[in-house]
Amino acid sequence: MSHAGVDRGQEGSRAGGPPLVEFHDVTVAYGRRPVIWNVDLEIDAACLFGIIGPNGAGKSTLLKAALGLVPMVGGSVRFFGRPLREVRSRVGYVPQRETVDWDFPVNVMDVVLMGTYGRLGWFRRPGIRERQLARDSLDRVGLADLAGRQIGRLSGGQQQRVFLARALAQQADVYLLDEPMAGVDMRSQEQIFRVLAELKAEGRLVVVVHHDLRTAAEWFDRVALVDMRLVAAGPTAVVLTPENLQRTYAGHIDVLEELGRAVATRGRTP
Amino acid sequence: MTFAGLPYNTLVVAVGVAAVGFAAGVVGSLCVLRKRSLVGDAAAHATLVGVAGAFLATGRRDLATLLVGALAAAVAGLAALLLVRRFTRTRDDAATAIVIGVSFGLGIALVSGLPAWGYADSAGLEQFLLGHTAALTAADAVLLTGVACVATIVVSLLFKEATLVAFDAAFAAATGWPVLVIDAVIVGLVAVMVVAGLPAVGAVLVTALVVIPPVAARAWTDRMGTMLLLAGMMGLVAAVVGVVVSAAWPGLATGPLVVLAAAAIFGISFVAAPERGWIARRLRSVTRNA
Repeated sequence: MSHAGVDRGQEGSRAGGPPLVEFHDVTVAYGRRPVIWNVDLEIDAACLFGIIGPNGAGKSTLLKAALGLVPMVGGSVRFFGRPLREVRSRVGYVPQRETVDWDFPVNVMDVVLMGTYGRLGWFRRPGIRERQLARDSLDRVGLADLAGRQIGRLSGGQQQRVFLARALAQQADVYLLDEPMAGVDMRSQEQIFRVLAELKAEGRLVVVVHHDLRTAAEWFDRVALVDMRLVAAGPTAVVLTPENLQRTYAGHIDVLEELGRAVATRGRTP
Repeated sequence: MTFAGLPYNTLVVAVGVAAVGFAAGVVGSLCVLRKRSLVGDAAAHATLVGVAGAFLATGRRDLATLLVGALAAAVAGLAALLLVRRFTRTRDDAATAIVIGVSFGLGIALVSGLPAWGYADSAGLEQFLLGHTAALTAADAVLLTGVACVATIVVSLLFKEATLVAFDAAFAAATGWPVLVIDAVIVGLVAVMVVAGLPAVGAVLVTALVVIPPVAARAWTDRMGTMLLLAGMMGLVAAVVGVVVSAAWPGLATGPLVVLAAAAIFGISFVAAPERGWIARRLRSVTRNA
């Protein structure tokens, strides 16, 4: 794995410091039904990291637990060796697109500016600097022309890119993305992937919850296979073996076909 | 002294109720966008208990005392809503219906029972049911105006935070904002405006003043800030129409007139608004099919 990312002058951005993200024995339950069991996972270098698994495997829950959005029954998550609340401004988040009402009366610029609110704090309004940052972020995802458009008048792919631009405006060192490619057209997928690769090249860690096995092998440097428990984690080529996929997707007959295709394309990265 | 044929007192009261209508539209917009439209209804129906309770506890019947009691009861009603939802695994809509029914029943029982229990001077409390502005004094109007101003100022201070939470609470929480606190402020403001609207519009209908103007305003604009202002203006107009018309026809309660005025504004918006209105949508589908 490459460590060519720029040294950001802060601890944790290269091997040797504390891991960028560290899940320790994380267990999460909704009511009495556990959805994540005893997950231990360390990511210690900037890379494109995929969290892969079948529907209902708890992938999104794992991200939400890391962000403190769902309570953990047990375990802990640390970023840069510290609890989240001490380093929140360095952790960016892209939620699933369906979690918000796109008929909300805000435009594209308004949403991207929300990425700057964390740093602004109470009562301060975004100013010239924040607007410039939001415009730059929109430019990176190819939506500079749509800044004034109401968010309901965007395609699904454009909406997803607005969410990505909002995360870029957070100027974080670790990015957590929840299914950013779900229901997104090819052009948006490519654009999103290009931005994620740029983030990695800048020395940032990008963690992506992803369901499509075919593209997973292509896109991610490292992956974790999750099916309520952690099945395997490590470099993509090592982890995505037929045996591991079998163990992850056992009982999920609907994806057996996809599994076969993924194994067939494994390692054929461009 | 008169203005446009209205006595001075009616004029002052109209200003106070107009301020309340404006603030209710502004605060209600946040509530509607946060998808909590029924919160105001639960708070409103609980207020009667507080009006009667404040009278029983203090023996006074000045507006400030009664409204403090109403606010306490509104908050208690909302707390009851949270408790019912949490400890009985009742769904949101059912829990709201239960709290509305029970608290309103209790309030009606108290208000209607008081005279029979020897509180002859309790007459007038039942006017909080449907709203009755004729009895309001200039001092009452000043009080209502003050409350409306404070609520509007709080919204303008927290506009950024409230917008963030209403649009994407998960992102707000992930970036460190205390979503519960911001939600509590929004709901608290709704309770305050419901209580402030009580004398003019009454417990049964005041929630309409919090919900109808925001929904009507949304039809005209895609911008949050514009929507809040517009909802405020619509609430103001509805309130003034209600006060003036009920002053002209002494038999009419103010509340229903305010709500009917708001409903008229809503109807016009639904039909005539550009883009989102019925005519505009009709025209678009005609041009598409042509």
